[in-house]
Amino acid sequence: MLEIRDLCVQVHGEEILHHVDLTIPHGEVHALLGPNGSGKTSLMMTVMGFSNYVVTQGRINYQGVDITELSISERARMGIGVSQQRPPTIPGVTLRQILDFEISHMDDHAAMAEKWISQARVEGFLDRFVNAGLSGGEIKRSELLQMLLGDVQLAMLDEPDSGVDLEALDIAGSLVNAILTEDPAHPARRKTGLIITHTGQILDYVQADKAHILIDGRMVGCGNPHLIIDTVSQHGYSACGQCLQESI
Amino acid sequence: MADAKLKPADELEGRVLADSEEQVELIAPEQVHTDDAEQLREVGVFTDQKDRSGTFVMQDFHSVSAMSLVEGLELLPIHIALEKYDWLRKDYFFKTVPADLNERTSYVAAQETPQGYFVRVAKGAEITLPCQTALYISKENIAQAVHNVVILEEGASLNLITGCISHRRVPSGIHIAVSEMYIGVNATLTSTMVHSWGKDVVVRPSAGIVVGDGGRYINNYISLRPGADIVSNPTTWLNGKDSSAKYQTIIMGSEGSRIETGGEVFLNGENSRAEMNHRGVCTGGIISQRGTLQGNAPCRAHVDCAGMLLDTRGGYIESVPGIKAHHPQAQMSHEASIGRISPEQVEYLMARGMEEHVAISMIIRGFLDADIEGLGQELDARIADIARMAGHGEG
Repeated sequence: MLEIRDLCVQVHGEEILHHVDLTIPHGEVHALLGPNGSGKTSLMMTVMGFSNYVVTQGRINYQGVDITELSISERARMGIGVSQQRPPTIPGVTLRQILDFEISHMDDHAAMAEKWISQARVEGFLDRFVNAGLSGGEIKRSELLQMLLGDVQLAMLDEPDSGVDLEALDIAGSLVNAILTEDPAHPARRKTGLIITHTGQILDYVQADKAHILIDGRMVGCGNPHLIIDTVSQHGYSACGQCLQESI
Repeated sequence: MADAKLKPADELEGRVLADSEEQVELIAPEQVHTDDAEQLREVGVFTDQKDRSGTFVMQDFHSVSAMSLVEGLELLPIHIALEKYDWLRKDYFFKTVPADLNERTSYVAAQETPQGYFVRVAKGAEITLPCQTALYISKENIAQAVHNVVILEEGASLNLITGCISHRRVPSGIHIAVSEMYIGVNATLTSTMVHSWGKDVVVRPSAGIVVGDGGRYINNYISLRPGADIVSNPTTWLNGKDSSAKYQTIIMGSEGSRIETGGEVFLNGENSRAEMNHRGVCTGGIISQRGTLQGNAPCRAHVDCAGMLLDTRGGYIESVPGIKAHHPQAQMSHEASIGRISPEQVEYLMARGMEEHVAISMIIRGFLDADIEGLGQELDARIADIARMAGHGEG
């Protein structure tokens, strides 16, 4: 599904990802862990194709297609989506306009849109300019709802569980579940996901198949998500990464 | 501005002028030639008169059609109205815009048979359907001189749409206009002017508006087609107690164009209110947003000029909002901003599946709509057109 090979990325002329490899098979959800500033968000933004993230080496393949040179729109139409932690505000453009655009392009599930909008509790800011003056929890609900209505096949979620209270976490958890559900009748069949998390709280709602650790722009290892999170919380990222390296 | 140095003599040099001997008979709007009717549709004037209360068409040098469809609305060519009503010349003709204001107004005043429209809405008449007027140039390089008078009597209301356009195959010409509007006690005039001129057409309107007690004047101005050389600075006198004016201006400038819009509002009436919103999108050329509010009584006024610079191509946006208070209870404010579309915003929308030009159009549309309410469906569609053109980098 997603295959990243030897990826090097620069932002404003400085390399921030170094020879990154990552494979997420179809239907698997992987967690991406790492200290602040390690390059996790940059990796997601690069896969989405944002222009600030310049690929200087390596390839990104999605569904067997090399997407490294494709535009953001093309990637989005192939089913790739990202929920950002700090999305921009756009004066004059409302969340409702974006949702309407997405709904108008939905093949199925358009009838479900109203239910999801209600579930995400965004009615209070549907007609405000997108992301303007929203709390952290509201931004997450807005981002997750947009992704849900965008009907993505590869969902990249940047810290859907950070800075939210328990109730908001519950909403975020159910939205993430809905995003990753391929067919409600068959819960085992899932879409593909990559979730950045610091606390691992979101993994109480979504079962992750594997976790990767990224430190200083390099992938240092992967393994069982819960074991890795436990180890990180006890010994820190570096020790966990070193341990994983030694086990290879 | 360099333009101020241009005199009508220069602007008129080489133009085809009106032949005072030529006579034109009035026709029904439906009889306007199909090709011309098609042009007029672009600026919101429909010769089938569907959903309209009346229609006036001036083509080149002459008023060619004038018809009111509803009671309470009188719509005549100005020269016929002047013959019909003695008081018109005495009380309303060249009163808010003096004939000798400048050489352009003098040129209009010098026309042997004045051309343009006379609109009068009777006391208490609320005309719900829009009245449409067209000032249309269909011949190459002519000098069109226009004089319009609009009178709303006490308690009357009217939505006036004026479409000003040159035929697609006519790139040059000059349009000189004098418009005088008198808004009576508790009357409301919504005047929506839609311009779509050829790239070398020079447009020099002069307008004066007087508003009585409780009267409201809403001025919407949209310039659709990129190009042209337009200077439009209407003057409004809010003389009545509780009178108000609202200007909403939407401009698209492109390479080679020069568009100066603004206006002056004198707040003379107690508790009068004025608001000016200018929005300009520049893909080249010069956009100058001006606007001066003068508070001479207890009043409230605000002017806001905002520009979005997509590409300069030798041009610029200039925003000059001005306020002047002559009364201690005049509350006045202004703001101005010029910005660009951030790639981050465009890419955010692209990540939802939009093509780049669709994302840019949506942002521009939002910028043009910001703080401007009640534009109506037709105008809304025209703003969408501007946003679409700018989104495609046209202009």
